[in-house]
Amino acid sequence: MRVEILYPEICNLCGELMNMRYLKQCCPDMEVISTDLKSRPVFLDEAVDLVYLGSTTEKGLQLVVNALTPVKDELTAKIDAGQRMLVTGNALDAIGLDVTSDDGLKFDGLGLLPTHARYQMMRRHNSFFLGKFGEDITIMGFKSLFGHTYDAPEENGLFTVTRGVGRNPASSLEGFRRGNLMATYLTGPLLVLNPDFTRWLLREMGFVCEKLAFEDAAMDAYRQRLTEFSDERRNPIG
Amino acid sequence: MGKLKFILALWMAKLSIPALKITHHSGTDFPGNLALKICPDFLRYVGRPKTIVAITGTNGKTTVSNMLSDILESNGYRVMSNRAGANVASGIATTFIRSCGLFGRISKYDIAVLEVDERSSVKVYPYVTPDFVAITNLSRDSIMRNAHPDFIAGILTSTIPASTKMILNADDLISCGVAPDNPRVHFGIDRLPTDVTACVNLINDMRICPKCLGKLEYEYLRYHHIGKAVCRDCGFHSPDSEFLARDVDFENHTVTIRENGQDYAYPLITDNVINTYNILTVITTLRQLGLEPEAIRHSLERTVIDTTRYAQEKVGKVTLVKQMSKDLNAMAGSRVFDYISHLPGQKEVYLMMNNMGDAANWSENTCWLYDADFEFLNRDDIVQIVCAGPRALDYKLRLLMAGVPEEKIACDLSEEKAAELLRFTPGDDIYYLYGADAWGLTNRMYDYLKKLALQRAADKEVQQ
Repeated sequence: MRVEILYPEICNLCGELMNMRYLKQCCPDMEVISTDLKSRPVFLDEAVDLVYLGSTTEKGLQLVVNALTPVKDELTAKIDAGQRMLVTGNALDAIGLDVTSDDGLKFDGLGLLPTHARYQMMRRHNSFFLGKFGEDITIMGFKSLFGHTYDAPEENGLFTVTRGVGRNPASSLEGFRRGNLMATYLTGPLLVLNPDFTRWLLREMGFVCEKLAFEDAAMDAYRQRLTEFSDERRNPIG
Repeated sequence: MGKLKFILALWMAKLSIPALKITHHSGTDFPGNLALKICPDFLRYVGRPKTIVAITGTNGKTTVSNMLSDILESNGYRVMSNRAGANVASGIATTFIRSCGLFGRISKYDIAVLEVDERSSVKVYPYVTPDFVAITNLSRDSIMRNAHPDFIAGILTSTIPASTKMILNADDLISCGVAPDNPRVHFGIDRLPTDVTACVNLINDMRICPKCLGKLEYEYLRYHHIGKAVCRDCGFHSPDSEFLARDVDFENHTVTIRENGQDYAYPLITDNVINTYNILTVITTLRQLGLEPEAIRHSLERTVIDTTRYAQEKVGKVTLVKQMSKDLNAMAGSRVFDYISHLPGQKEVYLMMNNMGDAANWSENTCWLYDADFEFLNRDDIVQIVCAGPRALDYKLRLLMAGVPEEKIACDLSEEKAAELLRFTPGDDIYYLYGADAWGLTNRMYDYLKKLALQRAADKEVQQ
């Protein structure tokens, strides 16, 4: 099994690289490839079970777009052919249509997702999220972002919102799904925080594990968090 | 109209001071808050002393500001500072209100030393032009408030006036990138025996060359991105330090600073690198202000670094070490874990860096745990780690991911019950790591740990 982390030298905020460490701890034989900004992504030419892209700075988003623009058509074709890819946090904006901010920042994304991001740089959005993946899997996570994404058709969401904020405060969907491309605005170690989702993902990747790494501890923390996130006295907006 | 509004704001704010005193609220920023509400550009109109020094940065700004004020005062300067108040715009406005006359003139002070919160720059620097801005360092802080250091560097660059002279840490390429067109002077620490060339930390926010995106190499790396970097692709490198600390001797508490080719010896009133950088920031700033090395040396000999964030005492048969580790701050946690890991002795660690404000009404964003180097706690001489409070289960999971054997970890959501899980083995050092937002709980738990340590010692006596 192989996973490829795109641009870990810049896409490493919010502890998100721990997503891949956790997968490796679940599947010790897994090969982890780190591809830097000056290298061609391996998955374009070789079989890779999961490509991962995590949160970065606003300059970092532009570097990601610049790095992938020359291979945009290949990337799109790969995604449409079923390449599995997980995108977390603001990295979603690199594969959307464009980003604008109230401090004058403006750039186009790769256009893989039909959405427009808008940032308010001095009004950071912080919230916790409780939602569903499919019918059965409860998802929890955090958002710590400069803004939201707008104007996408209300379809093809990755998660549905139970509590918290989706793609934007008016949307009941969180993130996007395009085939096996899964993109979420949730920041941080999504896979560590969501053992059920991780188990599902590993199964999709063809890895059946009896138990996840540190599963008992992960489930204890998950249940504790679920109690807190379900508590109506707690406002999801931080 | 603006000036009239200012006078009204000033008088109202000044009137509030005795009222606050009577109601025992004199330590608050209410006067500044009130003034800024009435006159949002209050700081534009208020008078100022001849020289203004601003201290900012992620860590160390309080230590540096306090040391600077103390040393300047001991050298006869009349110093206006916000050490008694907050480092945000309202705290700074309060400082000016308390220091000025009825028409806003400031005549009682020669110099202002202002600690300025990085994000508050946007509300301060457009109105108050500092002669000097010293940046201690820029690194990851709370992602919820400060996002990432590049964002903070951008805020500082867009707000610091063009005439302000920057005092920068040459070993921190993030702060070196702030206000690139301003005049500047750098300080740094020469290679130390403990330096490495490859980063061992999870966080390193300077991995690529800011000019060509090539991989940065480090001639030496102290921690995270702090070190001397070079890009082999384009030749970009860390700036040279006009104030370079050499021969850092933690044992004999001495340091030599090379300045203009000449070496000056100073006392080193610390045993760690972080405070060495703080002292270096102070010395460099004082030299910019014209103080002679001899005067600085003399003052440093009589200076004590505030240790409210660290204390240790022998209690019963163990040593209790109280160490603040700022909650929500991965860098702070990593530095504390690293520091502890290098200390001698057998250790038990009590982790209570929860953000209690979030615990009460929200749910703490735990991303920072996954940026912090809990791996430093995976050592043979750390025999037990007890996780306490609302995030105890998250700590446990993170420790397991860091490779800490499960049998060493104990946890409980109740701080008291968790404390009772400590072994208090005679001779052990008990490290109590606490966050910054719950002083009442922090002190109560310290007292409880002391009580438990004494009880266990008495139990041991009886057994013998």
